[in-house]
Amino acid sequence: MTRWYVLRRVLQVIPTVLGIGLVAFMLIHLAPGDPVMALAGEHGDAAYYAFMRERFGLNEPLPRQLLTFLTRILHGDFGFSYVQGRSTLVVILERLPATALLGGAAIVISLIVSVPLGVVAARRPDSARDTGISTLALALFSAPAFWLAQMAILVFALALPIFPVQGMTTAGARSTGFGHVLDVARHLALPALALAAREIAMLVRLTRSGLIDELARDHIRTARAKGVGELSVLVRHAFPRALVPALTVVATRVGQLIAGAAVVEVVFGWPGIGRLLLTALQTRDTPILLGLFIVISSSVVVVNLMTDLIHATIDPRIRLL
Amino acid sequence: MFLLPASCVKEPATTRANILVAAITSDPGHLNPAITTNGGVHTAADLLYDGLISLGEDLTPRPALAARWTIEDDGARYRFFLRQGVKWHDGRPFTSADVKFSFDSVLLRFHSRTRASLGPVLLGIDTPDDSTVVFRFKRPYAPLLSQLDVVEAPIIPKHLFAGTDPLRNPVNMAPVGTGPFRFSSYAHGTEIRYAKNADYFGTTPTLDGVVLRVIPDASTQVAALERGEVDWLFGVPGPERARLRRDPNVVLDQTSVSPGGSNCVTTVGFNLDRPIFRDVRVRHAVAHALDRQQFVDRVTFGDGRMADAPISSAIAFAHADHLEMPAFDTLRADSMLTAVGWQRTTATAIREAHDVAGVRNGTPFAVTFKVMSGMTPYGELLRAQLRRVGIDLRVVSLEPVVFAQSVFTARDFDVSIAPYCQGVDPQIGVQRMYTSSSIAPVPFSNMAGYRSATMDSLFERAGSALDVDERRRVYRQVQELAVRDQPYIWLVETTNTHAHTRRCTGFGVAAHFAATATCTS
Repeated sequence: MTRWYVLRRVLQVIPTVLGIGLVAFMLIHLAPGDPVMALAGEHGDAAYYAFMRERFGLNEPLPRQLLTFLTRILHGDFGFSYVQGRSTLVVILERLPATALLGGAAIVISLIVSVPLGVVAARRPDSARDTGISTLALALFSAPAFWLAQMAILVFALALPIFPVQGMTTAGARSTGFGHVLDVARHLALPALALAAREIAMLVRLTRSGLIDELARDHIRTARAKGVGELSVLVRHAFPRALVPALTVVATRVGQLIAGAAVVEVVFGWPGIGRLLLTALQTRDTPILLGLFIVISSSVVVVNLMTDLIHATIDPRIRLL
Repeated sequence: MFLLPASCVKEPATTRANILVAAITSDPGHLNPAITTNGGVHTAADLLYDGLISLGEDLTPRPALAARWTIEDDGARYRFFLRQGVKWHDGRPFTSADVKFSFDSVLLRFHSRTRASLGPVLLGIDTPDDSTVVFRFKRPYAPLLSQLDVVEAPIIPKHLFAGTDPLRNPVNMAPVGTGPFRFSSYAHGTEIRYAKNADYFGTTPTLDGVVLRVIPDASTQVAALERGEVDWLFGVPGPERARLRRDPNVVLDQTSVSPGGSNCVTTVGFNLDRPIFRDVRVRHAVAHALDRQQFVDRVTFGDGRMADAPISSAIAFAHADHLEMPAFDTLRADSMLTAVGWQRTTATAIREAHDVAGVRNGTPFAVTFKVMSGMTPYGELLRAQLRRVGIDLRVVSLEPVVFAQSVFTARDFDVSIAPYCQGVDPQIGVQRMYTSSSIAPVPFSNMAGYRSATMDSLFERAGSALDVDERRRVYRQVQELAVRDQPYIWLVETTNTHAHTRRCTGFGVAAHFAATATCTS
């Protein structure tokens, strides 16, 4: 039964990704802006445009281009970047680790910071402490990422020169091994914090409200009546159950995290796929754009699939659906 | 860290004593300057390559890969004698075959500007021996010498490109050139590293190396310069310039050369296909309504000067001095518009048409102004200034690729603006704005859709005249005619502000800016 469920869910990924590819293809080709014009820049002439269009297969009718594209992605071939002339997949895979590192660090930071804050806030709802934490969460949630990122640079890189301003490594540095790890960590701190801000805000609120609900339940009252200490009630009885919705939310935030990463990557000069996406959009580098859409959407689909599978192992009822 | 007290900074041991770190705005994607006119690629790749000649700050041609040259047949044939003993970075000798290959197989196919300008007039390139190259033209061709520097015509190695697809050749990512620096490494999205070419045929660079660091955000670039993470910025946004001027460790320089092009004049263009702007008196009136100095003060923050002729003053031989340009005079603009039939009921109302040719009575003077996203502040000031004379400007801001398509392909605009970079020769950078053959779906061509047989023949004369004085006379006539017909309003000759840390000095112009620089620790 479980095996069938897993297989069915995995097979569903293929049409989903193909569907995303189709929609992305149509969107890009319906949007104004001509890749050949972007590539040629000034001073081109009609002959040059025709020549380049033919090279990229852009002179073919749209349905044929679509067919070629869909056939190719089924074979795992994402084509060549118009601008770089390299395999799209190579270009994307080169930049993916930086975004994974940034996003992963942001998730870890947000969990480490927000869960204790949520617990502290939930212990005495409407106390001064709770109000303070909730206000902070609201402020972080409302502040746009690019502004937070620039403020972080002004404060923690210029006024207090603790962290570097930009990049993933020191310019021109040839550090290796542990020195390299340390160098990357110093560069990672500010962008990861800036990206984590919104996640922190959301998780604080989720943990807090989940815990408040949980603390009002019968089994907590029973535990307290049995004389279990307050700390144990909180940590052992209420917290694990309150954490489940928070973790689910983290899993579903992958898409938003990549969107937020694009802004943070631009401000900090972080070499990830968010920036690649923006550049590809500006130059209408269609193969890169389509490749990125598929890679990003697949990662969202895969994370969702994993969440579903984990839920299915916890909750047998889900497998029956 | 040299910008801050040592006590508060703990940087990893910098090994950049004599290494220049320069910020660039975008990852170039590849490092082959022969297949593109993209400014980002040229900024990053030109350090590695050379042209047959180079251009000095005054735009005079100087020997580079070509040691000397002769002009024959009244300018229909150019003979270049190549420098002896030049080697590619991989040790192979450079010969005339590299030059012929670069032009025939790459530049004349993929470099859009060289293809569009040389392609139609060039008969062929001959290589009588290993160190001689001859260019044959259909007719005398004057601008050639300004089209052979590393930006317009970089020479790439035949032995690495012959028989390959130049757009997908792996050498594009790890180039081999003849230039003052050789390629070390390229981390996409992060930085490109270069090492000094100790065997360079010109003056050996004093720097040990260069790092071009990709920092997309302009304010982050400024912060990185203040913190000492980078030494050089190609441009500084207006509002940040004041802050950097107060920084004792930073030096600012103004230049007419920028990565996007050189000698740029921000120019407003009327769409002459639109009935509203067909009457030259209306165009003159609009020109009188504009206080152009305000654009210098408020939009470019002093980076540049009010344009005083259609051709940039940086192209000194062609620029017309003491030309009579429409002066800022709103009263005159008012009365001119009223005289044409654009009348207003109150002193603040939008004008309406009364017996204006081609325009229905009662039509309000409301026009669409299309602008590239980066230039929106020009649109806002223009709107405010034109509102005073009763013209309503709707500013539509578009991202650059969409702007190019909307304005130059679809021609769907009433008024627009573009940073026309005029380059070094008016035949390349100026002609495209005025000749009827340049009305084409090509970005930054003849935006106005201006047609004049006189203008066409003037440019034809200027293109085949070899004598500088003769060309100067013809370009003066070009500019007088342009001002009379006013298809454009020339707003600001923009300059570009470089910034660098005090520890690095001796920068050169344009392509090989780092070749003469030196940095101390």
